[in-house]
Amino acid sequence: MTVIQLSFFVLAVASVASALGVILFKNAVNSALSLILTLIFLALFYLQLGAMFIAIVQILIYAGAIMVLFLFVVTMLASEADDTELHDRIPWQRWIAAILGLVLVGALSYLLFTGTTIDNGAKATGGNQLSQVVNSQGNIQAFGLALFYGFAFPFEVTSLLIIVAILGAMVLGRRA
Amino acid sequence: MINLSPLVLLMPLLGFIILGLVGRALPRPLILAVAWGGCGLAFLFATISFFSMLGTPVANRTSDLVLYTWVSSNDPQAPLLISFGQFLDPLSATMLMVVTGVGFLIHIYSAGYMEGDPGFWRFFSFMNLFIFAMVLLVSADNFLFLLVGWALVGLASFLLIGFWYTRRSAVAAAQKALVVNVIGDFGLMIAIFLLFKQFSVLNYFPNGSSGSGVFTAITSSMKGQPILTAIALCLFLACTAKSAQLPLYMWLPDAMEGPTPVSALIHAATMVTAGVYLVARAYPLFELAPTALLIVAVIGSVTALFAATIALCQLDIKRVLAYSTISQLGYMFMAEGAHNYSAGIFHLTTHAYFKALLFLGAGAVIHALDGEQDMRKMGGLSQRLRITYFTFLIATLAISGIPPFAGFWSKDEILSSLLTQATNGGGSIFYLLWIMGLLTAGLTAFYMFRLFFGIFNGDYRGNTSTSRTHEELLDEEEPSHSTGNHHTIHEAPPVMTVPLIILAVLSVIGGFVGSYGLFGLPNVHPFTSFLDPVFSTVHISEGSLGVQWLSTGVSILVALLGIFVAWRMYGRGFAYKENSNPIYQLVLHKYYVDEILNAIIVQPILWLGRAATRFLEGDTLDKGSQGVALALRGTSAGLRRLQTGYMRNYALAILVGVVLIIVYYAVRG
Amino acid sequence: MPAHDLPLSAYLIVSATLFTIGVTGVLVRRNPLIIFMSIELMLNAVNLSFVAISSFLDSADGQMFVFLVLTVAAAEVVVGLAIIVSIFRTRRNIDVDEMNVLRG
Repeated sequence: MTVIQLSFFVLAVASVASALGVILFKNAVNSALSLILTLIFLALFYLQLGAMFIAIVQILIYAGAIMVLFLFVVTMLASEADDTELHDRIPWQRWIAAILGLVLVGALSYLLFTGTTIDNGAKATGGNQLSQVVNSQGNIQAFGLALFYGFAFPFEVTSLLIIVAILGAMVLGRRA
Repeated sequence: MINLSPLVLLMPLLGFIILGLVGRALPRPLILAVAWGGCGLAFLFATISFFSMLGTPVANRTSDLVLYTWVSSNDPQAPLLISFGQFLDPLSATMLMVVTGVGFLIHIYSAGYMEGDPGFWRFFSFMNLFIFAMVLLVSADNFLFLLVGWALVGLASFLLIGFWYTRRSAVAAAQKALVVNVIGDFGLMIAIFLLFKQFSVLNYFPNGSSGSGVFTAITSSMKGQPILTAIALCLFLACTAKSAQLPLYMWLPDAMEGPTPVSALIHAATMVTAGVYLVARAYPLFELAPTALLIVAVIGSVTALFAATIALCQLDIKRVLAYSTISQLGYMFMAEGAHNYSAGIFHLTTHAYFKALLFLGAGAVIHALDGEQDMRKMGGLSQRLRITYFTFLIATLAISGIPPFAGFWSKDEILSSLLTQATNGGGSIFYLLWIMGLLTAGLTAFYMFRLFFGIFNGDYRGNTSTSRTHEELLDEEEPSHSTGNHHTIHEAPPVMTVPLIILAVLSVIGGFVGSYGLFGLPNVHPFTSFLDPVFSTVHISEGSLGVQWLSTGVSILVALLGIFVAWRMYGRGFAYKENSNPIYQLVLHKYYVDEILNAIIVQPILWLGRAATRFLEGDTLDKGSQGVALALRGTSAGLRRLQTGYMRNYALAILVGVVLIIVYYAVRG
Repeated sequence: MPAHDLPLSAYLIVSATLFTIGVTGVLVRRNPLIIFMSIELMLNAVNLSFVAISSFLDSADGQMFVFLVLTVAAAEVVVGLAIIVSIFRTRRNIDVDEMNVLRG
C-alpha cells in the first residue's frame, strides 16, 4: 500500500464522516463546523491530485470566506431558530430519503466502478499537457495560462455575476 | 312565337328581393308600386307571350328556352345533365295567364285589405315570392325545377299562412300545412328518383341541351308496367298534398288562418291547382299507367263528395269556402281521371275566377264587419254591401253550375266526360263516379247558397256595437284592419271592389270558351282546341249528343234542387239552432279527422320526443358530460395532493426522477 | 503528473457518496441554513470529480470549471443567505415546512 493509497482511504473516510456530520447535527453551528472540516479534507484531496492552486483557493475562499458568512448568519438566527424537531409533518420523508440515498449511492458506485476508464485518446497531448506546463513553469502559471487563454470570457461573466449578486444582496438586505 | 317566360319569372323575383331587403323602409306607395309592378309586369309579359302564341301556327306552339346548364357530366358511367329552362306551350301559357292575372287582381285587392297592417311590406314581398315560385313551377321544362317551384310555393304558403305570427293558431296552421306538404314533396322526390333511374333524363322534351326527354322516352310498349304506376302514384301523392285531396287535405281548412287575399290566391286559385297541372303535364305517364289514373279519378270524386258533406255544416264562412275548394279540386282530378285533361284545366281556370271572387267577397264582408267570420253573426248585409252582394251572388251561381255562368260550362264538361267514359267502355266504375259527381254538385249548390243567404239575407245578427275592447279583438279570428270608424258597416273601398267586379265579369263570360257540342256545334270548343296540341296522344271520344244532354240536364236539375232547398231553409236568414243530432255533430266536427290524427300520429311523436329528451339527453348529460366532469375533478383532486407546499417534497420528487434514470443506466449495463 | 495509484473510479465514488449525502441533507433537514450547507456539499462533491478527471486527463479544463463553480457558489451563498435573513425578518421562523403557502 503506497502512501497515496493510504492517504486516500483516510481522507475518504474522514470526508464522508464529516459530511454525515453536516447533515446529522442538530445544532446548526456544529453543522457549519463540520462543513468546514469537509472542505479542508477536500482541499487535501486536491493536493493529492496535484491541483495545488485550487486547493489553496478552496481553503481561502470556501472555508475562509463563505463559511464565515454562513456562521455569521447561523449565529444571528440561532437564538430564534432551534432546529428542534418540534413537529415533523412529513415523517415518512426521511425514510424515503434515506432509502433513495442508499439506492443512489449504490447505483452510482456500480456504474462508476464498472464503467469509468480513461480513454487515452481524450488525454491532452504535447503542449497541452498540464503536467508539462506545471513542470516547466509552475503551478500558478499553468493555472493562469489556462484561465486567461481559454476561459477569459467565462471569467469576465463571473465578475458580472458577482456584481449582480452584490446588488441583489444589498436590495434584499434593506429593511422593508 | 315570343317566349317571354324568363321575364315573367324575373319580375316577381325582383319584387320579392327589393321588398324583402328594403321594403321595411319604403313608403307605402312605393311598396305598392314594386309589388304591383312585380306581378303586373309578369302578367303583361305573360299576355304578350300568350297572344303571340295565338298568332303562330298550331304546330309551332311550343318553345323550350334553355337558360342555364347546371350540371353537366359526360362520364359514361354516370351521365348527368341538368339544365334550367322554361317551357312555353298552350298548357303552361294558360297556367301563366291564370296565375299572374288572378294574382295581379288579388295584389290590387290586398292593397286595401292589408291597409294599416304593420307587416304591409312583408306581405307583398311574400306574395311576389309566391308568384315567382308558381311561375317557376308551371314554366319549368324539367322535373327538377318543377320540384324547386313546388317546394318554394310550399314555403310561400307557409310564410303567408303564418303571416300574423304572433297568433298561435296561425303558426300552428302554417306548421301543419308545411308538414303535410312535405309528405307530398317526398312523393315527388321519389318519383323524380324513379324517373331518373328509368329514363336518365329529367326534362320533359328534348331541348337544346339534352337529346331526349321523359315524355319522348316513354313508349306505348311500357303500358301497364309497375315502374310507371309507381312513378305516377308518387306524383299523385304530391298532388294530394298540394291540392288537398284525400288523404292529405287537412291542412287547407286550417290554412284559412292566413289573411283572406292569401286564401284567395294560394288556397283557391293557384297553388292548390299545381297538382292538377302536374297530372296534366305528366299525362303521358298517367295514360300508360291506367291503374294510377283510375286511382286519381276515384280519389278525386271521393274527396269531392266528402268535402262537400263537411261544408254543409260549417259556420265559419272561410271554412265553407275552403271545403268547397277541396271539393272543386276533386272535380278537376275526376276529369283528368276520365282522360279529359283539358276539361280539368278548363275547370281550373273557371274555378280560379269564381273562387277568388268568393274569397275576396268574403274578405270584403269580414273587412266590413271588423273581423267577424262567423256566419251566425252576419245577415242583412245585402243593402249595405251592394257590390259585394251582387258579385258574390254571381260567384255563387257560377260555382253551383247554373248556366250561362262559367262554372256550368266546365263542370258540365267534366260530368259529361265521366258519363261518356262509362258508356263508351271505360268501365262501369265511371257510372258511380258520375253519380258521386252529381251528388256533389247538388250539395255544392246547397251549401253555397246556404252561405250566401246566411251572409246577406235576413236581419243582421251581429253585435250591435262593433267597437270592441282590445282583449276581444285579440280573441277574434283575424285582427281588425279597418281604419275607418267602427260603428258603421260600409262597403269596401274601390281598390277592393274593382277586382271583385272584374272577377265577376270573368265568372260570367269565362265559360264561353267551352264546348258547344251540346248546341249542335261539335267542332266549336275554343279552349279544348287550344290545349289539343298538348294532349296530342289522348283521344277522347266525344260522347253522343244524348249522353251529353242527359248529363247536363240532370246536373242542372240537381243544382236547382240544391238552391231550392237552401232557399227554403235559409231564404229568410240563417237561424242557427244547436243541433245535438249525432250525425250532425260528426259532420260539424269534420268527422273528427283532425282529432283522430292528433291522437294516432301527433301525440305518439310528441311522447317519443319527450321520452327521448328524458332518457337519451338526460342520460347523456348525466353520465356523459357529468361523468367526464367528475372524472376530471377526481383526477385533479388526486393530483392536487402532490402539491403539498413543502419544498422538501418537491426536492424528493426530483430525486426520485434522478434515481430512476441512474438505476436505468445501471441496469442496462 | 501526480502518481495515479488509484483508479479514477475511486475518486468518483467518493464524490458520488458526498453528493448523495448532500442530497439527503436537503431532503431531511428543515433548517434552511443546513439545507444550504448540504447544497454546498453537493457542489463540492462535483468539484472533486472535476479535479480528479482533470488530473487523470492531464488537462487544465477541469480546474477551470472548479474555479468557476467556486465563484458561482460564492455569489449564490451571498444571495441565498440574504433571502433567508429577509424571510426570517418577516416570519420570525425559519422552518421550511412552515412556508407552504403554495400548497394546492
